[in-house]
Amino acid sequence: MRRSIAACLLSLCACAAAQEPASREAFTFAIELVKGSDADMRAVALERLRDGLKGEAYTVELAEKVLPGLKPDVQVLLLSALAGRGDAAAVPGIVKVSEAGDAVVAPAASRAIASLGGAAQVPMLVGRLDGEKSVGDAARAALVAIQGDEVAARLVAAAADGTAPPSRRAAILEVLADRRERAAIDTMVAAAVATDATVRAAAMRSLARLGGPAEVPGLVAGFLAAAAGKERDDAERAVLQVCGQGPETKAASASLWDAYRAARGDAQDTLLPLVSRVGLPDLLPIVDALVADPDPARRARGLAALARWPDATVKDRLLGLLAKTEAEPERRLLVGALIRIAPLPKNGLTDAQKLELLAGTLKLCSTDDERRRLLERAGAIRTVESLRFIMPSLDEPAVAEAAAKGVVELAHHQKLRDGNKAEFNAALDRVLAVAKDPVTRDRAERYKQGKTWERRAR
Amino acid sequence: MAIDPKSLDAPFTALAAFDWGGDVQPLAAIDAAVIASHGDAALRADLEKRLADLLGGKAPSAAKQYACRKLCLIGTAGCVPALAELLGSKEESHMARFALQQIAAPEAAAALRKALGEVAGDLKIGMIASLAARRDAESLPALTALVSGDSTVAAAAAEALGMLGTPEAAAALAAAKTSGVAAEAVVDARLACAEASAKAGKKAEAKSIYESILKAVGEAPATHRGRAVRMACQRGMFAAMEG
Repeated sequence: MRRSIAACLLSLCACAAAQEPASREAFTFAIELVKGSDADMRAVALERLRDGLKGEAYTVELAEKVLPGLKPDVQVLLLSALAGRGDAAAVPGIVKVSEAGDAVVAPAASRAIASLGGAAQVPMLVGRLDGEKSVGDAARAALVAIQGDEVAARLVAAAADGTAPPSRRAAILEVLADRRERAAIDTMVAAAVATDATVRAAAMRSLARLGGPAEVPGLVAGFLAAAAGKERDDAERAVLQVCGQGPETKAASASLWDAYRAARGDAQDTLLPLVSRVGLPDLLPIVDALVADPDPARRARGLAALARWPDATVKDRLLGLLAKTEAEPERRLLVGALIRIAPLPKNGLTDAQKLELLAGTLKLCSTDDERRRLLERAGAIRTVESLRFIMPSLDEPAVAEAAAKGVVELAHHQKLRDGNKAEFNAALDRVLAVAKDPVTRDRAERYKQGKTWERRAR
Repeated sequence: MAIDPKSLDAPFTALAAFDWGGDVQPLAAIDAAVIASHGDAALRADLEKRLADLLGGKAPSAAKQYACRKLCLIGTAGCVPALAELLGSKEESHMARFALQQIAAPEAAAALRKALGEVAGDLKIGMIASLAARRDAESLPALTALVSGDSTVAAAAAEALGMLGTPEAAAALAAAKTSGVAAEAVVDARLACAEASAKAGKKAEAKSIYESILKAVGEAPATHRGRAVRMACQRGMFAAMEG
């Protein structure tokens, strides 16, 4: 219904005649405009309802009398205005509308409840997590934002509810992590070994974000409970995040070592690749013993552990084993490990030592694929000597593309490039002559012109 | 530290010959003296006289504009005649009226009003702006007379009336026959008058202005500006209602 401004003014005058408070006059006028079809005037009225015309009586009237009678698109606007008023008296009315609302109104109601509600609304929002995407996403965002006593406790209880659908429990665990609720840690640890993989994975992701040394045993249990494959890979990342990042990595690593020592049989075997990724020095004698074991399976486990080491402390072991081995799979594994660890930023070697190791490894490569990987990785050692190391490979068609990638990776670093401008310009010209990959060519062109290149997130 | 007026002779001699791109170092003593004259009436009077005298002489425009800037800070009714002499000058008019705009003496406003009737174009718009900045109620008749047609002068006059914000100014604006840019300025000025009325507690007056503008704009304006004006009126009406 389109109401004219004149009609609104008449209603305004009528209110004045009844000698109601001035704000009642404005309130009535605002509601008329909200109900009307003039979007501009409605926007002004909603602004007043959000920022002015304060008072619980108005809030309740808006939420319980005005809101239900509006069209859905206008309900959404008024819900936003009610949220902006910051008056919790609107909550019962919003909940009612929300229960009857559709995929448009219900999310808007959840957003309003996030601002105005408290613990009492947690069950309702939790129930919506299983709804259609827009409803579930809004409920999830609301559960992250909602404040008040007992909110965290109710969420923790919901996460621990084994009778709830796994997807819901998983979503609540993520919500708790988003909220940084450390009170939920025990629940997360318990969920890490739940029977459902969705719940386990969510618990591990959450523990990775909130956990510390004290949670490492729980993370290890979660890792062991994870099914081999993607779930275990993700679980491994979660453990490594706690043991490899943050201020307590040392204590977390020690805790991981304790967990490894305490494990028995198959569990210890399962944990070995994980523990080797952390690079605990105490593990090396165990790995050495495995490598020396005549049982091929045990030797393979030892070699795999060495190949996963996070720094160059194992380089001599790798080189020594390479010199002796005649088995091709072992050779491939060991060469691959050297190619990976040689250029790592904090591997304990100087740049010159890194390049020397890489150059030595190049001689041990027996396939073009290995050489290509090595030449690309050489781009991670940011010295002009690395450029000189790569350059001759640009003339070998089988590896030229990879060498070109190594060159542009080095050229990406402006200080290095500008400090050796003539050499880099010549190298980039050569890259443009041999490279076919459009990204490599684009990078080379850009660096030649002194421009940068934006690395896209993986 | 007291400043001996005689010590300013050399700086003022340098100022009399100062031109754009010249050495500003000698003028630092005058800057310092202007600051030091706070609370020193004799020094301030001496400085004002020297600066006013320079305006009447044959000093380069740069020197006169410098003097105007200093008179912005220390000028009184005493220097108004000298400043008023420059209001018709294309080079120095704006700097002279900036000084007159700041000088609290009523003589300064009178000089601006007088010049308003004598100058044209940008200089006239300048006088309008300075009178508006002074919130000079006595300029109402002159400003009212200028608000008609479609010209930048009419628009400036309308804006000035809006800055006055009085019921008389609002009435003058309501009666104005304008078009184009001046008509838009009149609407803006009327909104300013309504806001001023609401702030002063005159809610009925404010509402009356808003209603009148809403009626003029119509319910479905064709332009973004028209819609914005409607929304501004609506906001204003709420503000007036809520007090």
